[in-house]
Amino acid sequence: MVKALIIGLNTFRETLRLKSYQIILIFALLLLGSSQLFSFLTPEEQLKMIKDVSLSGIEIFAALLAIFTAMTSLRNEFETNTISTLLSKPLRRSEFILGKFIGSVLAITLSVILMAAVFSTLILIKQHSLEAGLFSATFLIWAEMLVIVALTLAVAAFASTAFTLIFVLFLFLTGHLTGYGLELAQQAKNPLLQALTKIFYKVIPNFENFAIRDEIAVGVSVSLSYLLKTFGYGLIYTFIALLLCLYFFQFREV
Amino acid sequence: MSKTAFRSRSIAAIILLFLILSPLQDSIDLQRRRMGFERRLMLMPGQVAGNLILGGFKGLAADLLWLQVESLFHSGQHYKMLPLFQSITFLQPKFITPWAVGGWHMAYNISVKAKNEEEKQFWIKHGVDFLAEGIKNNPERYDLYFELGWTYFNKVKDYANAVKYFELAAKFPRPEYVDDVLAHAYEENGQIKEAIATWERILAGPDTPFRQIAARMLSRLKKYGTTKVETYQ
Repeated sequence: MVKALIIGLNTFRETLRLKSYQIILIFALLLLGSSQLFSFLTPEEQLKMIKDVSLSGIEIFAALLAIFTAMTSLRNEFETNTISTLLSKPLRRSEFILGKFIGSVLAITLSVILMAAVFSTLILIKQHSLEAGLFSATFLIWAEMLVIVALTLAVAAFASTAFTLIFVLFLFLTGHLTGYGLELAQQAKNPLLQALTKIFYKVIPNFENFAIRDEIAVGVSVSLSYLLKTFGYGLIYTFIALLLCLYFFQFREV
Repeated sequence: MSKTAFRSRSIAAIILLFLILSPLQDSIDLQRRRMGFERRLMLMPGQVAGNLILGGFKGLAADLLWLQVESLFHSGQHYKMLPLFQSITFLQPKFITPWAVGGWHMAYNISVKAKNEEEKQFWIKHGVDFLAEGIKNNPERYDLYFELGWTYFNKVKDYANAVKYFELAAKFPRPEYVDDVLAHAYEENGQIKEAIATWERILAGPDTPFRQIAARMLSRLKKYGTTKVETYQ
C-alpha cells in the first residue's frame, strides 16, 4: 500500500505538470465564469442557467480531465518504457495500478474542488447562500469520475492511446443514454431484443445514476439514501474496472 | 498464484460484483422514478442525434430552448413559443418557470389576439390545461397551484376553482401575497367568513405590507360587507 501511495503521489505531481491538464482546467474555469453572461434574464432564470451550465461544465470537463489524466499516466509508462524499470524493482503490478489510480483520482479531486469553488462563488454572489443540493450534485460528479478513471486505466492497459480516448468517450456518452435504449427496447415487441438490452443496461456503467444536476438546478432535493446507493454503485463499478485493468495488465508483456 | 488461477478468480470476482450491481441498479431506478427523475425520450424529426447527445444533459438542452423563448417573447412571436414550452417542460418537467410562463402566454397574451370569442376561450382553456399538467409534475410546490388559481380568478372569473387552487397553494411554504389573494377569492366566491378569517390570520402574522392591507380589508368588510371601493362608495 505504501508503494502504491508513493506511485500515486508521483503520478499526481506529474499530472499537475501536464499541459493538457492545465489547459483543460483553465478552459473549464473560464467557462464557469462565463455563465455570468446571462445577465439579460430574470434573476431566477439566471440562477438556474448558472447552475445548469456550471454543473454540466464541471461534469464534462472533469470527465475529459479524468480520461486524459488516467490515460496519460499509464500510456506514458508504456511508451517511454519506464514501466520495465519500475517492474524490475520489488513492486507488484497491482500496487502499480493502484498507485496510478490514486494519483489520477487526486488530480481529478483537485480539479473538481477548484471548479466547485468557482461555481460556489458565482452562486454566493447571486443568491448569497448555497444549497446542500449543489454539494450533493458535485459529490456525485466526483464519484462518477472515480468510475471513469478506473475504466480509462482498464482500457489503457491493453489498447493504444487513440483507441482508449475514443472508447472511453464513447462509454461516457453511452453510459448517459443506456436508459433511453432500455426505454426504446421496451417499446419494441421483440423479447430477444428486450433481454439483450436489459443485459447491456446492467453491464454498461449507468452514468445517469450520478446525474442529479438537472433536478438540483430546479430546486428538487435528493435523499441521502439515493446519494449513498449511487456512491456504492460507483465504488463497486470502480472496483470492477480496476480488476479488469489488473486482469489485462497481468498478461501484458513489458 | 498461477496465471490460470488469477484469471479464473478475476473473472469470478467480476461476475460476482456485477450480480451485486444488478439489484442495486434496480433499486436506484425505482428511487429515481419515485423522486420523479424518470427518463423521457424526446425524438424530433431531423434532430435525433442532437437530442441523443443532449440526452445526458437535459438541463442544458432546456436552457438553450429557454433562451430561444426569451428571444421570441421579446420579438412578439408568441405562437412560435408554444412548441418550445412543450419541449422544455418535456425535457425538464420540474422547471417551474416554463409551465407558469407558458400557461400565462396562452391564457393572456395569445387569447387577446384571438379573432373571436370561441378562439379566445380555446386559448384560455389551453393555458389552464397547461398549468394543470404542470401541477401534475410538480404537486409538492405552491407555485403552479397559485398560477392556476390566479388564472381562474383573474381571467376566467371562476371563483370556486380559484379558491380551490389558492387553498392548495396555501398548504405549502409560500409568499405572503398568496394568502391575501386567497382572501379576495373567498370574498368573490361569497365565502365572507373564510375571507375574514384569512385576513385576520394575516393580521396576526409577521409584520409585512400585507398586514396593513388585511387591516384595511377587514375594516371595509365589517363596515360595508365588501372590500370593493366602487361598491360601497
